[in-house]
Amino acid sequence: MITAERKPMQEIIDYVSPFNRILLVGCNECVTVCAAGGRKEVGLLASALQMSFMQRGKALDIQEITLERQCDPEYVEQLVNYVDRYDAVLSMACGCGVQEVARRYKTKPVFPALNTKFMGASEHQGIWAERCQGCGDCVLGVTGGICPIARCSKRIMNGPCGGSTKGKCEINPDIECAWQLIWDRLKMLGLEDRYEEIMEAKDWRTSRDGGPRRIVREDLAS
Amino acid sequence: MSFQKRLKSGDFVVLAEINTPKGVDISELMTNGRRVKGRIDAVVIPDMDNGVMKMNALAGAVLMHRQGIETIIHVYGRDRNRLAIQSDLLSAYVLGVQNLIVVEGVGVDDSDHRDAVVVDDLDEIGILRTIQALEEGVDLSGFDLTGSPGFTTGCTVSPYTDDAGMEREIEAAAKKAEAGAEFIITPPIFDIDHLRTLIDRLKSTNLPIIPSVFLIKSVGIARYMSINEPGTRISEDLIKRIRKSPDRDMEGIRIAGEMIKALKDISQGVEIITLGWEHQLPAILDAAGI
Repeated sequence: MITAERKPMQEIIDYVSPFNRILLVGCNECVTVCAAGGRKEVGLLASALQMSFMQRGKALDIQEITLERQCDPEYVEQLVNYVDRYDAVLSMACGCGVQEVARRYKTKPVFPALNTKFMGASEHQGIWAERCQGCGDCVLGVTGGICPIARCSKRIMNGPCGGSTKGKCEINPDIECAWQLIWDRLKMLGLEDRYEEIMEAKDWRTSRDGGPRRIVREDLAS
Repeated sequence: MSFQKRLKSGDFVVLAEINTPKGVDISELMTNGRRVKGRIDAVVIPDMDNGVMKMNALAGAVLMHRQGIETIIHVYGRDRNRLAIQSDLLSAYVLGVQNLIVVEGVGVDDSDHRDAVVVDDLDEIGILRTIQALEEGVDLSGFDLTGSPGFTTGCTVSPYTDDAGMEREIEAAAKKAEAGAEFIITPPIFDIDHLRTLIDRLKSTNLPIIPSVFLIKSVGIARYMSINEPGTRISEDLIKRIRKSPDRDMEGIRIAGEMIKALKDISQGVEIITLGWEHQLPAILDAAGI
Protein backbone atom coordinates (compact mmCIF):
# COMPACT_ATOMS: atom_id res chain seq x y z
CA MET A 1 0.00 0.00 0.00
CA ILE A 2 0.93 3.67 -0.24
CA THR A 3 1.60 4.91 3.26
CA ALA A 4 1.12 8.44 4.55
CA GLU A 5 1.12 10.52 7.69
CA ARG A 6 -0.91 13.57 8.51
CA LYS A 7 0.93 16.84 8.07
CA PRO A 8 1.64 18.98 11.14
CA MET A 9 -1.58 20.69 12.22
CA GLN A 10 -0.15 24.17 11.86
CA GLU A 11 0.77 23.57 8.23
CA ILE A 12 -2.78 22.43 7.47
CA ILE A 13 -4.23 25.43 9.31
CA ASP A 14 -1.96 27.76 7.36
CA TYR A 15 -3.29 26.28 4.11
CA VAL A 16 -6.97 26.62 4.94
CA SER A 17 -7.12 29.65 7.22
CA PRO A 18 -7.84 32.13 4.37
CA PHE A 19 -11.07 30.22 3.63
CA ASN A 20 -14.41 29.81 5.39
CA ARG A 21 -15.86 26.86 3.53
CA ILE A 22 -13.74 23.73 3.22
CA LEU A 23 -14.48 20.42 1.53
CA LEU A 24 -12.47 17.80 3.42
CA VAL A 25 -12.04 14.66 1.33
CA GLY A 26 -10.77 11.32 2.61
CA CYS A 27 -9.94 8.12 0.75
CA ASN A 28 -11.08 4.60 1.53
CA GLU A 29 -7.99 2.89 0.16
CA CYS A 30 -4.36 2.82 1.31
CA VAL A 31 -4.56 5.84 3.60
CA THR A 32 -7.48 4.25 5.41
CA VAL A 33 -5.44 1.09 6.01
CA CYS A 34 -2.49 3.09 7.35
CA ALA A 35 -4.84 5.19 9.49
CA ALA A 36 -3.89 8.50 7.92
CA GLY A 37 -6.74 9.66 5.69
CA GLY A 38 -9.80 7.45 6.03
CA ARG A 39 -13.27 8.33 7.26
CA LYS A 40 -12.16 8.31 10.90
CA GLU A 41 -9.19 10.60 10.30
CA VAL A 42 -11.35 12.92 8.20
CA GLY A 43 -13.70 13.28 11.18
CA LEU A 44 -10.86 13.95 13.59
CA LEU A 45 -9.26 16.57 11.34
CA ALA A 46 -12.60 18.28 10.74
CA SER A 47 -13.14 18.60 14.49
CA ALA A 48 -9.62 19.87 15.04
CA LEU A 49 -10.04 22.51 12.34
CA GLN A 50 -13.42 23.57 13.77
CA MET A 51 -11.81 24.11 17.16
CA SER A 52 -8.90 25.99 15.66
CA PHE A 53 -11.20 28.32 13.74
CA MET A 54 -13.43 28.83 16.81
CA GLN A 55 -10.42 29.78 18.92
CA ARG A 56 -9.67 32.52 16.45
CA GLY A 57 -13.29 33.64 16.36
CA LYS A 58 -13.81 32.49 12.81
CA ALA A 59 -16.68 30.46 11.43
CA LEU A 60 -15.82 27.33 9.46
CA ASP A 61 -18.22 25.48 7.21
CA ILE A 62 -16.56 22.12 6.68
CA GLN A 63 -18.04 19.21 4.75
CA GLU A 64 -16.63 15.74 5.29
CA ILE A 65 -16.69 13.20 2.50
CA THR A 66 -14.67 10.04 1.96
CA LEU A 67 -14.35 8.63 -1.54
CA GLU A 68 -13.76 5.01 -2.42
CA ARG A 69 -10.59 6.05 -4.25
CA GLN A 70 -9.22 9.52 -4.85
CA CYS A 71 -6.78 8.36 -7.52
CA ASP A 72 -9.60 7.25 -9.79
CA PRO A 73 -11.52 9.78 -11.93
CA GLU A 74 -14.71 7.75 -11.61
CA TYR A 75 -14.85 8.34 -7.86
CA VAL A 76 -13.43 11.87 -7.94
CA GLU A 77 -16.38 12.77 -10.18
CA GLN A 78 -18.62 12.24 -7.16
CA LEU A 79 -17.35 15.54 -5.72
CA VAL A 80 -18.96 17.49 -8.55
CA ASN A 81 -22.09 18.25 -6.52
CA TYR A 82 -20.07 19.58 -3.58
CA VAL A 83 -17.07 21.40 -4.97
CA ASP A 84 -18.88 24.57 -6.08
CA ARG A 85 -20.26 25.14 -2.60
CA TYR A 86 -16.80 25.32 -1.01
CA ASP A 87 -13.85 27.71 -1.25
CA ALA A 88 -11.17 25.03 -1.18
CA VAL A 89 -10.63 21.28 -1.03
CA LEU A 90 -8.48 19.71 1.66
CA SER A 91 -7.50 16.21 0.57
CA MET A 92 -6.55 13.44 2.96
CA ALA A 93 -5.45 11.14 0.14
CA CYS A 94 -1.93 10.31 -0.94
CA GLY A 95 -0.26 12.58 -3.47
CA CYS A 96 -1.94 10.69 -6.31
CA GLY A 97 -5.39 11.48 -4.94
CA VAL A 98 -4.62 15.13 -4.27
CA GLN A 99 -3.42 15.55 -7.85
CA GLU A 100 -6.41 13.77 -9.32
CA VAL A 101 -8.79 16.10 -7.48
CA ALA A 102 -6.75 19.12 -8.56
CA ARG A 103 -6.74 17.88 -12.16
CA ARG A 104 -10.52 17.42 -12.23
CA TYR A 105 -11.45 20.66 -10.45
CA LYS A 106 -9.00 23.06 -12.03
CA THR A 107 -10.42 26.30 -10.63
CA LYS A 108 -10.61 25.14 -7.03
CA PRO A 109 -7.64 25.38 -4.64
CA VAL A 110 -6.71 21.87 -3.46
CA PHE A 111 -4.41 21.29 -0.48
CA PRO A 112 -2.80 18.14 0.87
CA ALA A 113 -3.41 17.20 4.50
CA LEU A 114 -1.00 14.28 4.37
CA ASN A 115 2.64 13.66 3.63
CA THR A 116 2.84 10.64 1.34
CA LYS A 117 5.65 8.43 2.56
CA PHE A 118 6.33 5.18 0.70
CA MET A 119 5.05 1.90 -0.69
CA GLY A 120 5.17 -0.47 2.21
CA ALA A 121 3.62 -3.13 4.36
CA SER A 122 2.41 -3.33 7.91
CA GLU A 123 4.99 -5.04 10.11
CA HIS A 124 2.94 -4.84 13.29
CA GLN A 125 -0.11 -2.96 14.47
CA GLY A 126 0.77 0.70 13.94
CA ILE A 127 4.11 0.04 12.23
CA TRP A 128 4.60 0.29 8.48
CA ALA A 129 7.87 -0.21 6.65
CA GLU A 130 9.07 0.52 3.12
CA ARG A 131 9.10 -2.47 0.81
CA CYS A 132 9.14 -1.22 -2.78
CA GLN A 133 10.48 1.78 -4.67
CA GLY A 134 8.71 0.95 -7.91
CA CYS A 135 11.96 0.62 -9.87
CA GLY A 136 10.04 -0.93 -12.74
CA ASP A 137 12.31 -3.97 -13.06
CA CYS A 138 11.71 -6.25 -10.10
CA VAL A 139 14.72 -8.20 -8.80
CA LEU A 140 12.89 -10.04 -6.01
CA GLY A 141 13.14 -13.25 -8.02
CA VAL A 142 16.91 -13.35 -7.55
CA THR A 143 17.17 -11.78 -4.12
CA GLY A 144 15.08 -14.19 -2.16
CA GLY A 145 11.99 -12.00 -2.11
CA ILE A 146 13.73 -9.14 -0.29
CA CYS A 147 14.31 -5.91 -2.18
CA PRO A 148 17.83 -4.45 -2.00
CA ILE A 149 16.64 -1.23 -3.60
CA ALA A 150 13.90 -0.41 -1.12
CA ARG A 151 15.36 -2.06 1.94
CA CYS A 152 19.12 -1.51 1.69
CA SER A 153 19.93 2.02 2.85
CA LYS A 154 22.56 2.30 0.11
CA ARG A 155 20.60 0.49 -2.62
CA ILE A 156 23.58 -1.86 -3.01
CA MET A 157 23.06 -4.52 -5.66
CA ASN A 158 25.98 -6.64 -4.45
CA GLY A 159 25.82 -6.41 -0.71
CA PRO A 160 26.14 -6.26 2.13
CA CYS A 161 28.35 -3.26 2.74
CA GLY A 162 30.78 -3.09 5.60
CA GLY A 163 28.21 -1.32 7.74
CA SER A 164 26.16 -4.45 8.31
CA THR A 165 26.60 -5.43 11.94
CA LYS A 166 24.78 -8.30 13.57
CA GLY A 167 22.12 -8.10 10.92
CA LYS A 168 21.51 -4.38 11.40
CA CYS A 169 22.19 -1.39 9.18
CA GLU A 170 24.87 1.19 10.01
CA ILE A 171 22.63 4.02 8.84
CA ASN A 172 20.03 3.13 11.44
CA PRO A 173 20.42 0.22 13.85
CA ASP A 174 16.63 -0.15 13.95
CA ILE A 175 16.71 -1.20 10.31
CA GLU A 176 17.48 -4.76 9.41
CA CYS A 177 20.30 -5.21 6.89
CA ALA A 178 18.54 -6.14 3.66
CA TRP A 179 21.52 -8.14 2.46
CA GLN A 180 21.67 -10.12 5.67
CA LEU A 181 17.98 -10.91 5.14
CA ILE A 182 18.66 -11.82 1.50
CA TRP A 183 21.53 -14.11 2.48
CA ASP A 184 19.54 -15.78 5.26
CA ARG A 185 16.60 -16.40 2.97
CA LEU A 186 18.68 -17.67 0.04
CA LYS A 187 20.43 -20.02 2.44
CA MET A 188 17.11 -21.23 3.79
CA LEU A 189 15.96 -21.90 0.23
CA GLY A 190 19.22 -23.67 -0.65
CA LEU A 191 19.96 -20.98 -3.23
CA GLU A 192 23.32 -19.74 -1.92
CA ASP A 193 24.73 -19.93 -5.45
CA ARG A 194 22.62 -16.94 -6.41
CA TYR A 195 24.45 -14.86 -3.86
CA GLU A 196 27.75 -15.68 -5.52
CA GLU A 197 26.60 -14.21 -8.81
CA ILE A 198 27.55 -10.59 -9.39
CA MET A 199 24.54 -8.44 -10.18
CA GLU A 200 25.18 -6.05 -13.04
CA ALA A 201 24.74 -2.29 -12.65
CA LYS A 202 21.01 -1.67 -12.61
CA ASP A 203 19.26 -0.10 -15.56
CA TRP A 204 17.42 2.78 -13.89
CA ARG A 205 15.49 3.79 -17.01
CA THR A 206 12.53 1.79 -15.80
CA SER A 207 12.63 3.74 -12.56
CA ARG A 208 11.93 7.42 -11.98
CA ASP A 209 15.23 8.28 -13.70
CA GLY A 210 13.51 7.75 -17.04
CA GLY A 211 11.14 10.62 -16.20
CA PRO A 212 7.49 10.41 -15.10
CA ARG A 213 6.19 6.97 -15.98
CA ARG A 214 2.99 5.79 -17.63
CA ILE A 215 1.51 2.41 -18.35
CA VAL A 216 -0.47 2.11 -21.56
CA ARG A 217 -2.53 -1.03 -21.97
CA GLU A 218 -3.71 -1.00 -25.54
CA ASP A 219 -6.22 -3.73 -24.79
CA LEU A 220 -7.89 -1.58 -22.14
CA ALA A 221 -7.31 1.96 -23.37
CA SER A 222 -10.20 3.44 -25.32
CA MET B 1 59.71 2.95 -9.57
CA SER B 2 55.97 3.49 -9.89
CA PHE B 3 53.46 2.19 -7.38
CA GLN B 4 52.17 -0.24 -9.99
CA LYS B 5 55.62 -1.67 -10.70
CA ARG B 6 56.48 -1.94 -7.00
CA LEU B 7 53.18 -3.71 -6.39
CA LYS B 8 53.76 -6.13 -9.25
CA SER B 9 57.34 -6.83 -8.21
CA GLY B 10 56.15 -7.92 -4.78
CA ASP B 11 57.95 -5.07 -2.97
CA PHE B 12 56.60 -3.69 0.29
CA VAL B 13 54.69 -0.54 -0.69
CA VAL B 14 54.10 2.39 1.64
CA LEU B 15 51.03 4.54 1.18
CA ALA B 16 49.82 7.43 3.31
CA GLU B 17 46.46 9.18 3.35
CA ILE B 18 46.45 12.94 2.97
CA ASN B 19 43.14 14.76 2.97
CA THR B 20 42.18 17.70 0.80
CA PRO B 21 41.21 20.97 2.50
CA LYS B 22 37.72 22.21 3.20
CA GLY B 23 38.34 25.40 1.30
CA VAL B 24 40.89 26.63 -1.19
CA ASP B 25 43.91 27.11 1.04
CA ILE B 26 46.13 24.31 -0.19
CA SER B 27 49.25 25.26 1.75
CA GLU B 28 48.88 22.49 4.33
CA LEU B 29 48.10 19.91 1.65
CA MET B 30 51.20 20.91 -0.31
CA THR B 31 53.39 20.97 2.80
CA ASN B 32 52.19 17.54 3.86
CA GLY B 33 52.93 16.22 0.38
CA ARG B 34 56.46 17.60 0.51
CA ARG B 35 56.95 16.03 3.93
CA VAL B 36 56.53 12.52 2.53
CA LYS B 37 57.87 13.00 -0.99
CA GLY B 38 60.49 10.37 -1.75
CA ARG B 39 59.72 8.43 1.40
CA ILE B 40 56.51 6.69 0.38
CA ASP B 41 55.26 5.10 -2.84
CA ALA B 42 52.02 7.02 -3.17
CA VAL B 43 49.73 9.41 -1.37
CA VAL B 44 46.16 8.18 -0.98
CA ILE B 45 43.62 10.97 -1.32
CA PRO B 46 40.16 10.26 0.09
CA ASP B 47 37.19 11.91 -1.58
CA MET B 48 34.96 13.60 0.97
CA ASP B 49 35.12 10.58 3.22
CA ASN B 50 32.64 10.57 6.09
CA GLY B 51 30.50 12.87 3.98
CA VAL B 52 32.45 16.00 4.81
CA MET B 53 32.37 18.44 1.90
CA LYS B 54 35.93 19.21 0.76
CA MET B 55 37.99 19.81 -2.34
CA ASN B 56 37.64 16.66 -4.40
CA ALA B 57 40.25 13.93 -4.51
CA LEU B 58 41.08 14.47 -8.15
CA ALA B 59 42.08 18.10 -7.56
CA GLY B 60 44.16 17.03 -4.58
CA ALA B 61 45.82 14.33 -6.63
CA VAL B 62 46.67 16.70 -9.47
CA LEU B 63 48.23 19.11 -6.98
CA MET B 64 50.35 16.26 -5.62
CA HIS B 65 51.21 15.15 -9.14
CA ARG B 66 52.55 18.62 -9.92
CA GLN B 67 54.97 18.13 -7.02
CA GLY B 68 56.11 14.83 -8.46
CA ILE B 69 54.22 12.73 -5.96
CA GLU B 70 52.32 9.66 -7.15
CA THR B 71 48.76 9.40 -5.92
CA ILE B 72 45.87 7.02 -5.48
CA ILE B 73 42.36 8.46 -5.31
CA HIS B 74 39.26 7.04 -3.70
CA VAL B 75 36.30 6.33 -5.98
CA TYR B 76 32.80 5.53 -4.74
CA GLY B 77 29.18 5.95 -5.73
CA ARG B 78 27.54 8.00 -3.03
CA ASP B 79 27.79 11.37 -4.74
CA ARG B 80 28.08 10.56 -8.42
CA ASN B 81 26.07 8.61 -10.95
CA ARG B 82 27.65 6.44 -13.62
CA LEU B 83 28.14 9.33 -16.04
CA ALA B 84 29.99 11.43 -13.49
CA ILE B 85 32.10 8.51 -12.29
CA GLN B 86 33.19 7.57 -15.80
CA SER B 87 33.85 11.16 -16.76
CA ASP B 88 35.93 11.72 -13.64
CA LEU B 89 37.90 8.55 -14.29
CA LEU B 90 38.79 9.64 -17.82
CA SER B 91 39.73 13.05 -16.46
CA ALA B 92 41.86 11.50 -13.72
CA TYR B 93 43.79 9.41 -16.21
CA VAL B 94 44.68 12.27 -18.53
CA LEU B 95 45.66 14.40 -15.55
CA GLY B 96 48.15 11.76 -14.48
CA VAL B 97 46.19 9.93 -11.80
CA GLN B 98 46.38 6.27 -12.64
CA ASN B 99 45.80 4.56 -9.31
CA LEU B 100 42.40 4.10 -7.74
CA ILE B 101 40.86 2.57 -4.67
CA VAL B 102 37.17 1.75 -4.96
CA VAL B 103 35.74 2.32 -1.51
CA GLU B 104 32.39 2.03 0.16
CA GLY B 105 30.49 5.31 0.23
CA VAL B 106 29.70 6.25 3.81
CA GLY B 107 26.17 7.58 4.28
CA VAL B 108 25.43 11.26 4.78
CA ASP B 109 23.57 10.88 8.07
CA ASP B 110 26.65 11.84 10.06
CA SER B 111 28.06 14.14 7.45
CA ASP B 112 28.13 17.92 7.33
CA HIS B 113 25.46 17.86 4.62
CA ARG B 114 22.78 15.63 6.07
CA ASP B 115 20.17 17.01 3.70
CA ALA B 116 22.04 15.81 0.59
CA VAL B 117 20.58 13.25 -1.79
CA VAL B 118 22.51 9.98 -1.92
CA VAL B 119 23.10 8.79 -5.49
CA ASP B 120 24.35 5.21 -5.15
CA ASP B 121 23.84 4.47 -8.83
CA LEU B 122 26.76 2.02 -8.86
CA ASP B 123 27.99 -0.06 -5.95
CA GLU B 124 31.65 -1.04 -5.47
CA ILE B 125 31.35 -4.03 -7.80
CA GLY B 126 29.60 -1.85 -10.36
CA ILE B 127 32.41 0.72 -10.22
CA LEU B 128 35.11 -1.94 -10.53
CA ARG B 129 33.36 -3.31 -13.59
CA THR B 130 33.02 0.19 -15.00
CA ILE B 131 36.78 0.68 -14.65
CA GLN B 132 37.34 -2.63 -16.43
CA ALA B 133 35.06 -1.52 -19.26
CA LEU B 134 36.85 1.81 -19.67
CA GLU B 135 40.18 0.01 -19.74
CA GLU B 136 38.80 -2.20 -22.50
CA GLY B 137 37.93 0.90 -24.49
CA VAL B 138 34.18 1.07 -23.99
CA ASP B 139 31.94 2.95 -21.61
CA LEU B 140 29.28 1.35 -19.46
CA SER B 141 26.77 1.61 -22.28
CA GLY B 142 29.11 -0.15 -24.67
CA PHE B 143 30.09 2.90 -26.71
CA ASP B 144 33.70 3.05 -27.93
CA LEU B 145 36.13 5.42 -26.28
CA THR B 146 38.68 7.47 -28.17
CA GLY B 147 41.69 6.21 -26.28
CA SER B 148 41.27 4.06 -23.22
CA PRO B 149 42.75 4.61 -19.76
CA GLY B 150 44.75 2.13 -17.72
CA PHE B 151 44.50 2.09 -13.96
CA THR B 152 45.90 0.16 -11.04
CA THR B 153 42.77 -0.37 -9.03
CA GLY B 154 42.38 -1.49 -5.47
CA CYS B 155 39.42 -2.32 -3.30
CA THR B 156 38.85 -2.36 0.43
CA VAL B 157 37.80 -4.73 3.13
CA SER B 158 35.35 -2.87 5.33
CA PRO B 159 35.68 -2.89 9.12
CA TYR B 160 33.92 -5.80 10.78
CA THR B 161 33.28 -6.77 14.35
CA ASP B 162 32.96 -10.53 14.49
CA ASP B 163 33.88 -13.74 12.68
CA ALA B 164 30.68 -13.65 10.62
CA GLY B 165 31.64 -10.15 9.49
CA MET B 166 35.10 -11.33 8.52
CA GLU B 167 33.67 -14.20 6.47
CA ARG B 168 31.32 -11.78 4.74
CA GLU B 169 34.18 -9.43 3.89
CA ILE B 170 36.34 -12.28 2.58
CA GLU B 171 33.50 -13.32 0.31
CA ALA B 172 33.01 -9.70 -0.78
CA ALA B 173 36.75 -9.37 -1.48
CA ALA B 174 36.59 -12.43 -3.73
CA LYS B 175 33.80 -10.78 -5.70
CA LYS B 176 35.79 -7.55 -5.95
CA ALA B 177 38.82 -9.48 -7.17
CA GLU B 178 36.64 -11.11 -9.80
CA ALA B 179 35.40 -7.66 -10.80
CA GLY B 180 38.92 -6.42 -11.45
CA ALA B 181 40.46 -5.27 -8.16
CA GLU B 182 44.25 -5.59 -8.18
CA PHE B 183 45.06 -5.03 -4.51
CA ILE B 184 43.18 -4.99 -1.24
CA ILE B 185 43.34 -2.42 1.56
CA THR B 186 42.26 -3.81 4.92
CA PRO B 187 40.95 -1.68 7.80
CA PRO B 188 43.01 -0.73 10.86
CA ILE B 189 43.35 -3.76 13.15
CA PHE B 190 45.68 -3.46 16.15
CA ASP B 191 45.75 -7.18 16.95
CA ILE B 192 48.56 -8.41 14.73
CA ASP B 193 47.61 -12.07 15.20
CA HIS B 194 44.08 -11.42 14.00
CA LEU B 195 45.42 -9.34 11.14
CA ARG B 196 47.65 -12.24 10.16
CA THR B 197 44.58 -14.51 10.10
CA LEU B 198 42.71 -12.06 7.88
CA ILE B 199 45.64 -11.74 5.50
CA ASP B 200 45.97 -15.52 5.29
CA ARG B 201 42.28 -15.85 4.48
CA LEU B 202 42.49 -13.14 1.83
CA LYS B 203 45.37 -14.92 0.08
CA SER B 204 42.77 -16.94 -1.84
CA THR B 205 42.16 -13.79 -3.89
CA ASN B 206 45.80 -13.88 -5.08
CA LEU B 207 45.94 -10.11 -4.64
CA PRO B 208 48.49 -8.06 -2.68
CA ILE B 209 47.12 -7.20 0.76
CA ILE B 210 47.86 -3.75 2.15
CA PRO B 211 46.67 -3.26 5.74
CA SER B 212 45.88 0.17 7.13
CA VAL B 213 47.72 1.47 10.16
CA PHE B 214 45.89 4.15 12.08
CA LEU B 215 47.69 6.73 14.18
CA ILE B 216 46.17 6.81 17.66
CA LYS B 217 46.33 10.45 18.72
CA SER B 218 45.11 10.19 22.29
CA VAL B 219 43.84 7.91 25.01
CA GLY B 220 40.36 9.28 24.30
CA ILE B 221 40.48 8.22 20.68
CA ALA B 222 41.83 4.79 21.60
CA ARG B 223 39.02 4.37 24.12
CA TYR B 224 36.40 5.63 21.65
CA MET B 225 37.58 3.24 18.96
CA SER B 226 37.77 0.27 21.29
CA ILE B 227 34.13 0.85 22.27
CA ASN B 228 32.58 2.09 19.04
CA GLU B 229 34.75 0.33 16.51
CA PRO B 230 35.46 -3.03 18.12
CA GLY B 231 36.77 -4.33 14.81
CA THR B 232 39.95 -2.33 15.44
CA ARG B 233 40.67 -4.74 18.33
CA ILE B 234 42.37 -2.11 20.47
CA SER B 235 43.29 -3.89 23.68
CA GLU B 236 43.17 -2.55 27.22
CA ASP B 237 46.94 -3.08 27.37
CA LEU B 238 47.40 -0.78 24.40
CA ILE B 239 45.22 1.91 25.96
CA LYS B 240 47.13 1.53 29.23
CA ARG B 241 50.43 1.85 27.37
CA ILE B 242 49.39 5.18 25.87
CA ARG B 243 47.92 6.44 29.14
CA LYS B 244 51.11 5.70 31.07
CA SER B 245 53.41 7.19 28.51
CA PRO B 246 55.07 10.53 29.41
CA ASP B 247 54.66 11.53 25.75
CA ARG B 248 51.34 10.23 24.51
CA ASP B 249 51.67 11.74 21.04
CA MET B 250 54.97 9.99 20.60
CA GLU B 251 53.57 6.75 21.98
CA GLY B 252 50.92 6.69 19.28
CA ILE B 253 53.62 7.26 16.69
CA ARG B 254 55.73 4.47 18.17
CA ILE B 255 52.77 2.08 18.09
CA ALA B 256 52.12 2.92 14.43
CA GLY B 257 55.81 2.39 13.67
CA GLU B 258 55.79 -1.01 15.40
CA MET B 259 52.69 -2.04 13.46
CA ILE B 260 54.34 -1.11 10.17
CA LYS B 261 57.48 -3.05 11.09
CA ALA B 262 55.36 -6.10 11.90
CA LEU B 263 53.51 -5.80 8.59
CA LYS B 264 56.72 -6.08 6.61
CA ASP B 265 56.74 -9.80 7.36
CA ILE B 266 53.11 -10.56 6.70
CA SER B 267 51.78 -8.19 4.03
CA GLN B 268 52.77 -6.42 0.87
CA GLY B 269 52.49 -2.92 2.16
CA VAL B 270 50.87 -0.46 4.48
CA GLU B 271 48.49 2.45 4.22
CA ILE B 272 49.10 4.96 7.00
CA ILE B 273 46.04 6.89 8.16
CA THR B 274 46.54 9.88 10.43
CA LEU B 275 43.20 11.65 9.92
CA GLY B 276 44.32 15.25 10.28
CA TRP B 277 47.76 14.60 11.69
CA GLU B 278 49.52 14.27 8.36
CA HIS B 279 52.36 16.41 9.74
CA GLN B 280 53.29 13.38 11.86
CA LEU B 281 53.79 11.12 8.86
CA PRO B 282 57.60 11.64 8.77
CA ALA B 283 57.81 10.73 12.45
CA ILE B 284 55.79 7.56 11.82
CA LEU B 285 58.02 6.61 8.92
CA ASP B 286 61.07 7.23 11.16
CA ALA B 287 59.58 5.00 13.84
CA ALA B 288 58.95 2.31 11.22
CA GLY B 289 62.48 2.57 9.90
CA ILE B 290 61.31 3.68 6.47
